[in-house]
Amino acid sequence: MQGLNVTENGIWYLRECFANYTGPCAYFMLFAAALVYICIKGTKREKQIFVPCSVFLLLTVYNPVSPVILDRFFDVNSEYYRFFWLLPVIVLVPYLMTKLIVTAKDKNTGAVTAVIIAAILLVSGRFVYADGIELAGNIYKMPPELMEVSEMIHDDSASAYPKAMLEYEYNMQMRQYDPKILLTVDREEYMYAVTSQYTDEMLSDETHPQYKLLAAVAQYREIDKDELTDALEATKTQYVVLNSGHPRIGLFKDAGLTEAGRTGGHVVLKYDIKEPYEFELVDYSVVY
Amino acid sequence: MIMLNILTVILGVICNFILYLSFGSLITRKKDHKCPFLLSVVVGFFFYYFVFFFVCVIPMKYYRPLSMLTKMWVPTVAVIVLLSAVLNGSRWVGWLRNAAGYVKKHPAVTLCILLIVLIQAVLVSCTYNFTLDAAYYVANVATSVETDMMNVYDPFTGAWQDHYEMRYFFATYQMQDSVVCQLTGIPALIWTKSVMAVTVMVLTNIVYLLVARELFIYGDLFKGSATAKSADESLSRSNSRAEASVVIMMAVMLVINLTFITIYTSSLFLMTRTYEGKAIVGNLAVITLFYLFMRMNDDRMSIRPWLLNFVVCFGAATISSSANMLLPVELTVLFLPMIVRKKAWRMIPGYFACVIPGVVFSLIFVLYVKGYFVFYTFPK
Repeated sequence: MQGLNVTENGIWYLRECFANYTGPCAYFMLFAAALVYICIKGTKREKQIFVPCSVFLLLTVYNPVSPVILDRFFDVNSEYYRFFWLLPVIVLVPYLMTKLIVTAKDKNTGAVTAVIIAAILLVSGRFVYADGIELAGNIYKMPPELMEVSEMIHDDSASAYPKAMLEYEYNMQMRQYDPKILLTVDREEYMYAVTSQYTDEMLSDETHPQYKLLAAVAQYREIDKDELTDALEATKTQYVVLNSGHPRIGLFKDAGLTEAGRTGGHVVLKYDIKEPYEFELVDYSVVY
Repeated sequence: MIMLNILTVILGVICNFILYLSFGSLITRKKDHKCPFLLSVVVGFFFYYFVFFFVCVIPMKYYRPLSMLTKMWVPTVAVIVLLSAVLNGSRWVGWLRNAAGYVKKHPAVTLCILLIVLIQAVLVSCTYNFTLDAAYYVANVATSVETDMMNVYDPFTGAWQDHYEMRYFFATYQMQDSVVCQLTGIPALIWTKSVMAVTVMVLTNIVYLLVARELFIYGDLFKGSATAKSADESLSRSNSRAEASVVIMMAVMLVINLTFITIYTSSLFLMTRTYEGKAIVGNLAVITLFYLFMRMNDDRMSIRPWLLNFVVCFGAATISSSANMLLPVELTVLFLPMIVRKKAWRMIPGYFACVIPGVVFSLIFVLYVKGYFVFYTFPK
């Protein structure tokens, strides 16, 4: 879970983790209420199915000491929340709600119960499309412009596997669509660049020339144009793709990159590598 | 072109279900015992990935090409499907007749259930979602097909890797996707984000249906301490009220999956990252085990209950490494109290057998992280 770790939070990790997990949703409260109902008014079978596992989970997964102990053996910081998936919320809550509706004394009571339950459901969660539903523009579920950029790069490049540095979203998506385009920066490095600032020491690190590219592309920092071309050269980056409103387009052009193409919202810049380089797949035929 | 793509997705989903039915029918087959058709399909899904794991892992360890795996996997599947058709053909016909009879008897219920599933299938296949993990999972399929290798090139950048990343080594689910994409020419994005997304969504709803029926139809009839056998007979005469309850419960499940949303919930994974292994483990595998537990709790699981649990646990572990920590815990919280309550000590070996795959995979990963071993992608 981002921003949380067991070492810092100790036994309070669970509380924080749980709060982040549930967010504004009240389904765990509904589950607790349903469990109490089952304990008091449930049948023997319902108690057998729902109570022991819930109590066992309460003593283990929902025990504040558990993540602390587990963390000594495994790194659970980022994944402990997945244990919350084990509580059968998706079974018990709908089951009890349905049962209350269908076992109502008469039709009118059943209808009123259904309305109350619908109201509870409406206020208990956050709709998955609360920020709007975005339909895929094509069967690939990729931005059409990304597909255009891919085509543009291949049309322009003589290389079978051109290497590119793309703006954030395209960098995460390009190789899903086009594995022939190699990327200069991987996911973790890019995520670091968009969430943290590079220190001067990091930027002067000769072993990681991609930091300079990320500083310019993701952090909009002013980098010396010679250092930029050195970084492009060292990483064998042939193309840089930026949003057309990106503040550092001029910097890249000053560094000698030329415009290879343009889509509605993106600019494809080309860098002519001084030492030609061709990526080749490893020949495993000599092994077998 | 759009129609052709839609047809590809529909055909892909249908083919998947034929495969799962064929695989599942083989292990849910027992003389004089009936297994629900839908349970055979769900267990078949996990059994399919269980078998694939054993065919895949050795060629991958010895850096053989993906095309070699494809050549091994296709005949394996063909033999299993043919064998299953010969052994289970009459069962399938019987199931189809029963299904037709059910539709005829409960047309409104059938329509409502289909509508609930269709809404979700359309949502997951037609919406655009940007997720960072797809940069690994989908790109891994695309990269494997492009390079004709398995897990050798880094999906993020395309660079060659000198060793296998053990976090993903045993999760061979994506290699199965790669095999299908290589064999059919279907692009990785269409296969994963449409075909597998719809397949997983339908499977998850099948398990929801099984759970709801178990709770309402069997639960109602179980009152009055009917014997398991008489309750089974009564099951076929389930009344309309119970069927309506099943529909209402599935509708509430749909609402919860649409609204229990933070970036961490299993519902979010199901609705937006359906094709990912984590979504399959967090929704399909977890609820399938819960369903098997309910049947075993009611003593209504006469067909190899622990084998089915084992297949689900092992199959899930080959789909996502998240299963390695989740399912042993789930097995423990569900089955240990039941074993103690029933004093069914003979179940303990079965329980341990189901826990072992996850524990072993976890230990292997810990040894890798601690630096005790590494699998290189070339001879050394």
